[in-house]
Amino acid sequence: MEELYQTERVTYLKDKMLSEPRYASIEQALIITDTYKKNEGQPKIIQRAKSLKAALEQIAISAEPEELIVGNRTAGVRYGVVFPESGSTWVDKEFETLPTRPQDRFNVHQEDIDTFRQVIKPYWKGKSLEDILVQRYGKKIDEIAKVVKINQKDHAQGHICPNCEKWLETGPKGLQEEAEAKLKTCSEEHKDFYKSVRIVMEGAEDFMMRYHDFMMNLAEKEMDEDKKKDILTVAENCRNLSERPPKTFHEAVQSVWFLFVILQMESNASSFSPGRLDQHLISFYTKDIEEGKLTRQDALEIIECLWLKFNEIVYMRNSHGAKYFAGFPIGFNIAAGGQDENGNDYVNDLSFLFLQAQKHLGLPQPNLSVRLHERTGDALLKEAVRTVAKGSGMPQFFNDKAVIPSMEELGIEEKDALNYAIVGCVELTTQGNNLGWSDSAMFNLNKALEAALTGGICLLTGERFAPDYGNLEDYETFEDLEEAFRRQIDYFMDKMILACEEVEKVHIDLLPSPFLSSVVDNCMEDGIDVTAGGAKYNLSGIQMIQVANLADSLAAIKQLIFDEGKVEKGEMLDALKHDFEGYEFLRTMCLNKVPKYGNDVDWVDAMGTKWAEYFKNRLRTFTNYRGGPYHTGMYTVSAHVPMGENVGATPDGRHAKEPLADGGMSPVYGRDVKGPTAVLKSVSKLDKNLTTNGGLLNMKFLPEFFKNEAGIDKFAKFLRSFVDLEIPHIQFNVVRKEDLIAAKKNPEQYRGLTVRVAGYTAYFTELADELQNEIIARTSYGDI
Amino acid sequence: MKGQVFDIRRFSTHDGDGIRTTVFLKGCPLSCVWCQNPEGISAKKRPLYFENRCIHCGTCVKKSRAEGVKIENGKIHLNPKAAEDWAEIIDWCPAGAIEMDSREMTVGEVMEEIRKDEVFYRHGGGVTLSGGEPLFQWEFALELLKQCREEGIHTAIETSLYVRQEILEAVLPYLDRIFADFKLENDGLHKKYTGVSNERIRRNLKFLLKSEKKDAVIIRTPMIPGMTATKENIEAVGRWISGIYPEVSYEILNYNPLAESKYHLIDQEYCFEDNPKLYTKEQMAEFRSWAEQGGVKHVIIES
Repeated sequence: MEELYQTERVTYLKDKMLSEPRYASIEQALIITDTYKKNEGQPKIIQRAKSLKAALEQIAISAEPEELIVGNRTAGVRYGVVFPESGSTWVDKEFETLPTRPQDRFNVHQEDIDTFRQVIKPYWKGKSLEDILVQRYGKKIDEIAKVVKINQKDHAQGHICPNCEKWLETGPKGLQEEAEAKLKTCSEEHKDFYKSVRIVMEGAEDFMMRYHDFMMNLAEKEMDEDKKKDILTVAENCRNLSERPPKTFHEAVQSVWFLFVILQMESNASSFSPGRLDQHLISFYTKDIEEGKLTRQDALEIIECLWLKFNEIVYMRNSHGAKYFAGFPIGFNIAAGGQDENGNDYVNDLSFLFLQAQKHLGLPQPNLSVRLHERTGDALLKEAVRTVAKGSGMPQFFNDKAVIPSMEELGIEEKDALNYAIVGCVELTTQGNNLGWSDSAMFNLNKALEAALTGGICLLTGERFAPDYGNLEDYETFEDLEEAFRRQIDYFMDKMILACEEVEKVHIDLLPSPFLSSVVDNCMEDGIDVTAGGAKYNLSGIQMIQVANLADSLAAIKQLIFDEGKVEKGEMLDALKHDFEGYEFLRTMCLNKVPKYGNDVDWVDAMGTKWAEYFKNRLRTFTNYRGGPYHTGMYTVSAHVPMGENVGATPDGRHAKEPLADGGMSPVYGRDVKGPTAVLKSVSKLDKNLTTNGGLLNMKFLPEFFKNEAGIDKFAKFLRSFVDLEIPHIQFNVVRKEDLIAAKKNPEQYRGLTVRVAGYTAYFTELADELQNEIIARTSYGDI
Repeated sequence: MKGQVFDIRRFSTHDGDGIRTTVFLKGCPLSCVWCQNPEGISAKKRPLYFENRCIHCGTCVKKSRAEGVKIENGKIHLNPKAAEDWAEIIDWCPAGAIEMDSREMTVGEVMEEIRKDEVFYRHGGGVTLSGGEPLFQWEFALELLKQCREEGIHTAIETSLYVRQEILEAVLPYLDRIFADFKLENDGLHKKYTGVSNERIRRNLKFLLKSEKKDAVIIRTPMIPGMTATKENIEAVGRWISGIYPEVSYEILNYNPLAESKYHLIDQEYCFEDNPKLYTKEQMAEFRSWAEQGGVKHVIIES
C-alpha cells in the first residue's frame, strides 16, 4: 500500500486553527432574541425554526482559501456560543471570569458583556429553559443534589446520532419537499411541525449558498491558478448541496459537515455524532475511486480537513459544568469497523483512512472509536493499536460482543443493535432513530453510602441531607448496613425519576428542534418533534458513580469491622467524621489490609457488582416521560473530581473531597496492583447489561509498551481478550509521566499534547491544575 | 506437595510469547553478582521490610517478642533469624511494610492463580516458570508443568540449566519454550561471577540442542557491563552454541538497571556502585554483530 502523507495544506490549517484565540460570542444570541421578539405569540416550534433560519441567513461567516471543507457557526474558530433559550444566567454571573477561570477559558469583548446585559438578559429573564425549570421544580432538584446531579437543566439535549445516510440521500431540499408533501395531508396538530421543518430547510439552503458566494469572492482574489481551482470546487460543492444531494465524495463530506454545523446552531448541545461514517461515505468514495476522480491521498486530505473542522466547534459550559466536562468536549464521535446488518465483519478503506487521519493529526476531535468483535481482522485491530501508540488516546475501543446483546436485552431491535454507534464520549446509541437522553442524571452511590453510615448527616457540613435509616453504630450485622443503604438508594432514586420527568417536560415545552427532528427516524413520518417523543427509541440514561469506591468501602467495613473485628464501629464512624485526623493507623489499615476492586478478588468485586445490579434492576422498572426505558451507564467524564469533592472521607481510606475513581468501571487509581489483566478480569464481573448507556474503562500505558511490532502484537492480543471478556469499552492513554510534567511547566511548548481525560481527549495544557496532577498520578503500567 | 513461591506476576510480556503469568520459584544454585531477583537466590523464607510503605507506627516493635524487630536511629531493622511469630507481626502491620519474601503454595493454589488469566492465554500466551532457578524445586515445577499441559496452557521456563540432566529430561516433555542462560563461556569467569563452573551447563546445553525440542530453545545472555557484555564472551558463546546446532536461536538481553533497587531489601551490596544505564540501540546492534561473527544465524535483540 502506498505511503500516505499529511499535506502542506492540512499542516497549515491545523497550525492556524490552534493559534486562533477563543472568544465567547453573543452574535447568535442577539439574532435569536430579535427573532423571538418579532414573533411573540407564535408557537414555540415556529419561533425556534425562525430563529435558526435567521441565524443561518445572518450570522457572519468566514473561511480560509485553503479549506476543502467549509462552514462554522461563528466566523471565528472555537468560539463559545451564548445560547439564551436554554439558559444564560450563568453567563451573566461568569462573563467577566471567562478569561481567567480555572477550566476552559474564553476571551471576551467588554462591549459584548454590556450588550448581553442590556438586550439579551432582560428579555430571557423568566423565559429560558433554566429559569422555567427553577420556577417549576428547582427546589426539589436542589434537595437531592448531594446525591443526584440532574443534567440538561440549562442546555438542549445532545448526545444524538442523526440519520446521516438519510441526510446524504435527501439534502435540505429533499427534506423540505418531504415536509411540504406532509403538510398537504397531515392533521392540524402536526402542521406547525412540518411548517417549522420547511422553514429551517430554507435556512439551511441559504446558509450553504452563502458559503458558495463567500468562496467565489475568495476565488476572485486568488492569483494562483491551482489554488483558485480548489476554491472554485469548494464553492461549487456548496452551491450543489444547497440544490441537491451530494454526488461526489468531496460533496458528501461537505454535506456531513453542514449537517453538524446546523445541528449545533439549532441546539448548542453537547455532542451530535456522525456514527458509522465509514459506512455512510463508502459508496461515494468507491464510485469516485472507480471513476478515477479521486485517489486515496485526495480522500485522506479531504478527511483530514473534516477532522480539523470537528475541532473548530467547542462547547462553552459554566464553570461548574466545565469541571464535570473539562476540555470543552463536544463529542463528534465516529465509529469505525464493527459488523454489518448480517453480523459479518465490517471494515472498508475509509476505516483505515480515518485511523491514518488520526495518526497524522492527533487532535481531540473527532472522538474516534473502533468497534471490535471476535471476527475483527488483524489488519484493522493492529492499525488501531498503532494509532493508539501515537499517543492521542484514540481510538477508543467498543466491544460488539458486550454491546449488541445488552442493547437487545434492553428492547432494541436486532438490526438497530447491530448498527449501534457512539455519541459524546462513550454513550451507546442506535443510529438515526434515538433520543437517548444519555446524561439524564448522575447518581452518587458513595454519597448514598455516606447517608447509610451517618444516618443521613453530611460528613462535610454536618447538615441533614438524607433520611435517617440508621447509622453505622446501629447495625448489628453487615446485612443491616446493606439494608439501610438499599433504602437510601430507593429514596433518592424515586425523587430522581420525578425530577427527570420535569426536565423532559420543560424541554418539550421550550426546545422543540425541527431541524434535528428531520434527521431522527419516525419524527418526520409521524410529525412529532424529537423532544416530544417522536424518535423510534426514547431512552434515559443514569450514571452510577462510582462502583469502584463503593466496592472498596464496603469491603473495608465488612472485613475490618464485621469479619475480623479489628475495628470498632464507633471508631470508624468517628474517623470518617474527622477525615481520619488522628486515625492514621486506621486509615493505613483501610488502604492496605483490605483487597481492592481491580485486582481480580472475587468477594471485593462482588461488593460493587451487587449494588450496580440492584440499582439497574430497580431503575429498569421505571418508564420515562417519552414512554421509553431508563437504563444505566458507568462513566463520569471528569465528574469524578467534583463528585468526589462532595463526598466525605470513605471507609476505603480515601480522604474527604478527594476525587473518586476515574472512568466509570476503572479501579481507584493506584489501587490496582495486580496488573492490567487483573483489572480487565475485575471489570468483566460487571454484567454487560449494566452499561447499555455506556461504560468507561481507562488504562494508561507508557509508550515503551508499543515501541515495536512485538508490543503491538501483544497489545492486539490483550484487546482480543478484552472482547472475550465482554467488557463494553476500553481506552488507553499512552504518555510518559515526564512528558506530562514538562507540559505542565511549559504549556506553550506542548499546545498540541492531548490526553484522554475520561471519555474524550482534551488538550493537556488546557486542563485545570488539579486535573493535570490527577492525570499524572494515574496508574501507569511501566514495562521496562 | 508444596513449593516455595516468591512471586506470581500476571501480564508478563517479556518472558515468552503473548501475555503470560510468570511463577517465580525460590532458590538458586548460582549466585550471579548481578542477579535481578536476589531475593530468589536463598531457598529459605525470610521477612522483608519495605521502608517506603512504613508509617512508623511502631506496632511491629510492640508485637516483637524475640528482638526480631528493632528500631535503631529511628529506623526499623529486621533480624530474619530471630524466633519471631512473623505471621502475627505481619498481620498487625497496617501498611503492609513487613512481608515474607515468599510463601509455601500447593500446586493447586498456584494453578488457581494461573487460571485467572486463562482468557489471555487463548490468544498465544501462557505460563512461564522463573526464579531463582525453577528447577531447584524440580518436583514442584514438574507437577505444575504437567498440570498446565493437561489444561492446554502453553508453558515456558527460564533456567540456568545448572541441574542434573535427568531432571531436564523429566520436565522437557512438558515444555513448549525453553529460555536457557549461557552467561559466560570462560569457565574461570563463570566461577568468578556466578559462583559455579559452567561445565554442567554446557552438558545440558548440548543435550538440549541435540534433542527434538531444539527449536523450542532460546539461549540467552544478559548483558552485564564488563562481565558478560564483552566481545570475547559474546563471540565465544556464539561460536560454541552454533557449533552444536547451527540453527540455534540466541537472545541478547539488555542490562536491567532496575535490579539494583532490590538489593537494599535484603541488606546486600550490588555489583555496581554506579548503576550503569541501559545499552543503546547501537550498542545492542554491535552485540548482535559479535554473536553473528561467532556464527549464530538467529540473533534476537529487542528493538
